[in-house]
Amino acid sequence: MFESTLRSLDERIMAFLDSPWNVVLAALGLFALVLLYAWAPYVRLVVKSMRRNPLRTLLTGSATFLLVMVITMIWSVLWLLDLVTAERSRDFKAIVTERWQIPSQMPFSYERILEDGGATRRGDVKPQNVMSWQFYGGTLDPKKSRENLVFFFALDPAKVLTMMDEFRDLNEDEHLEMQKMVRAVQEDKRRIVLGRDCLKRINKRVGERISLFSINYQGIDLDDCEIIGTLPEGRLTLFGLMHRDRLNNALDAYERKNGSPHPLAKKSLNLVWLQIPDTETYGKLAEQIANSPSFADPAVKVETASSGISSFLDAYRDMLWGVRWLLVPAILATLSMVIATAISISVRERRIEMAVLKVLGFGPTRILFMVLAEAAFIGLVSGALSAGGAYLYINKAMGGLRLPIAFFPPFRIPLEALWWGPTLGILTALVGSIFPAWSARSVRVSQVFSKLA
Amino acid sequence: MDILAKILIYLVGGAFVLFAAVAALILVLGLLLALVFILQLFGLLRRVPFNYNLRNLFVRWPTTLLTALAFTMVVSLLIVMLAFVNGLFVLTRSSGQPANVLVLSEGATEESVSSLGFGDITALNQHPAVAKDENGKPLISWEVYLVVNQPIDRPKPGGQKRRFLQVRGLMEPEQTGRVHRIGLYPGGSWFTQAGVQAIPGKADEQAIQVVLGEGIARTLGQDKDKPSLQVDDVFQMAERSWIVTGILQSSGSTFDSEIWAKQQIVGEKFGKASYSTVVMRTTDAQTAKQTAEDLSATFKPAVAAQVETEYYERLNTTNLQFFYAAVVVASFMALGGVFGIMNTMFAAISQRQKDIGVLRILGYSRWQILESFFLESIALALLGGAMGCALGMAANGWSASSIISSGQGGGRSVVFKLLVDGKILLGGLIFSLVMGNIGGLLPALSAMRVRPLESLR
Repeated sequence: MFESTLRSLDERIMAFLDSPWNVVLAALGLFALVLLYAWAPYVRLVVKSMRRNPLRTLLTGSATFLLVMVITMIWSVLWLLDLVTAERSRDFKAIVTERWQIPSQMPFSYERILEDGGATRRGDVKPQNVMSWQFYGGTLDPKKSRENLVFFFALDPAKVLTMMDEFRDLNEDEHLEMQKMVRAVQEDKRRIVLGRDCLKRINKRVGERISLFSINYQGIDLDDCEIIGTLPEGRLTLFGLMHRDRLNNALDAYERKNGSPHPLAKKSLNLVWLQIPDTETYGKLAEQIANSPSFADPAVKVETASSGISSFLDAYRDMLWGVRWLLVPAILATLSMVIATAISISVRERRIEMAVLKVLGFGPTRILFMVLAEAAFIGLVSGALSAGGAYLYINKAMGGLRLPIAFFPPFRIPLEALWWGPTLGILTALVGSIFPAWSARSVRVSQVFSKLA
Repeated sequence: MDILAKILIYLVGGAFVLFAAVAALILVLGLLLALVFILQLFGLLRRVPFNYNLRNLFVRWPTTLLTALAFTMVVSLLIVMLAFVNGLFVLTRSSGQPANVLVLSEGATEESVSSLGFGDITALNQHPAVAKDENGKPLISWEVYLVVNQPIDRPKPGGQKRRFLQVRGLMEPEQTGRVHRIGLYPGGSWFTQAGVQAIPGKADEQAIQVVLGEGIARTLGQDKDKPSLQVDDVFQMAERSWIVTGILQSSGSTFDSEIWAKQQIVGEKFGKASYSTVVMRTTDAQTAKQTAEDLSATFKPAVAAQVETEYYERLNTTNLQFFYAAVVVASFMALGGVFGIMNTMFAAISQRQKDIGVLRILGYSRWQILESFFLESIALALLGGAMGCALGMAANGWSASSIISSGQGGGRSVVFKLLVDGKILLGGLIFSLVMGNIGGLLPALSAMRVRPLESLR
């Protein structure tokens, strides 16, 4: 028992030491502890100062808490958008869509040719994996009311877990559940899986069967769709997944029944993802596809996923600019002003104390640092609590921030926010307290005591 | 949902309810005090030493300024955010005509996903509700709406590489202009029946004729280092040359971001042969409403008809979500400001204990002390709020682009102007007063409880 505990501890320590960052952080933590010990009397003084007016400390801390929380939420959204629009150099996806028109509508036959990357000559490159996307919107009632609208991605179920980033970081249980659902959809193409919010919105339960009346493929209504499960928390919450064969078979059936193909039969493929190992292959593949005569009507374009997402986000360009360069700085400025007000009041009330400290031998710089430390401490604690609170509440309780930005799922607070919060708290506190601290540093002993006398 | 999530929801929900209850109580008290203040102004009640409070704000000017600046930031940001949302609301409101009926394919929520090619709908031309012009021609517009991807000629480093252009293919542009009540600026003309013409100076090169909305003309002008494209200017789109024949008087509507061209040409070019939209002018709003209902219920093949203004109203769904997000952000910031003013007022009261004692000995009652400090915080909030309104007004008329959508996927990019109106400014001022009220009343209550003799000891 004891031996196994030791072994497990040893394994954990070795795993911890695997990352150089962990070692650096541990060293910094140790250094901070040493400093804390060395400066213990000053730290006690700072804490005492804060405890002297707990109401003011509480109010300043609360303001910091709230404003850091707003910035954490905003940065989380911007951070994710930056992340998805940043170009990768390895293991990325290329998106093939119609060249000129939005929404993209291509013949389904393109998918087969794209599996080979449009290769025609020896030495041409091929993608590692391919995934086709077809969009199907349907309502639960024949009157096609908007409240009952469900938007589906018609996909090859086999590609869901291998190609979609949404399902990469599932835990073991979620992964097993997804595998089970994928197998079930492969076995029976009438089965569908819905996002949690979507299921809630249409007021249905797993196990129920629904009929879908299409809004984008008129006449392609899908009966007897069995809801076999919900997508894991936070993934495609507003949408549903169905087997692509279900849609394609229905389009074929339409032609058999009506004697002519459905008007959208040759426009049913909306986009194709190609998995690419590196940028060099991407360049070759993009050229092959652009030059291939197979993609003439309609012409197609190839772009990296990040570039494609950037284009969609372009409609929000001005708003995101305003958020990044007006809103965030203004919140930071407000926070600094609130802290500056509190610290300057505190310094003004303690001018006699500062004078006494000077008489006792505290240098001006030491007094300056004590005031700064007081503000930084409030910033650190409030910032850490705020970021931690936002992380827990928004991710665990709310399931992410639901914002109307393109097709993005709810925005979750990243783990990185846990260091943004304290850092922001400390920095804004330092900026806000620099002038009051400087005024504390410049207290003239003779002036203060002459006034007292 | 796990236990942690439930605990978090209850904790935050409980704290929110508690805070909301306290804030509501404070607001009610604040309103009562405001009523008392009005009675004092009319001499019906004894006045408070408000001049004393005002002078104190001047004496402690650095703290006053810092606190007011925090308010300024919050209020000015609120005004900019509301001006953005207001600009979009006004844009969608101005885009539709109440007497127009807009017909889309059954189930389609937006023009971009509508296709009227599933049956013969030419009978709409003969619909009795359609109004006629002075020549007896039906005021009906047959349109195809497309979004086209345009690579930008010389993209700035790190800037956008392409944009989405909204193209509307029309049968008879002049008739469409009349239906939508949009004309051309002098010097321009509608595109011809052929829809193409030779490029001036290049007789052997043909270009597709277009009329442009004012906003998109400005956007495309940037590519050519001009403030706006003008008549006879040529631009590239989808590997073809397009020549401008006119600029639409479309400012303040969604048509401001559109390119109008000949339907047959764009339909063929972009593989969209069927129409996406039919817009019918009726005699009045009531007839339009009735016609839309009749068409949706009885017309074969099935279509989705609605009054044009209602259609654009629905495109505000995304905008409403922006509005809620703005209110949430502003509320959080306001709470930060409230804590700031509380700090200031508590400090002011603790420094002026003796003053309060003297005022009490001079005969001012507790409630007068309460009211005077409450008014001091309100004055501080008003100062910050007024500065915030002045700063926020600078955003009026800023040009911006965004998206409007019914929230069912799709959506359209629009160019619009931020609009700061009287309602927004009033909202900003009320917002700052509420902040001052919530932040000032608790400190004022503590001032009221000061005991005169003890404070002077």
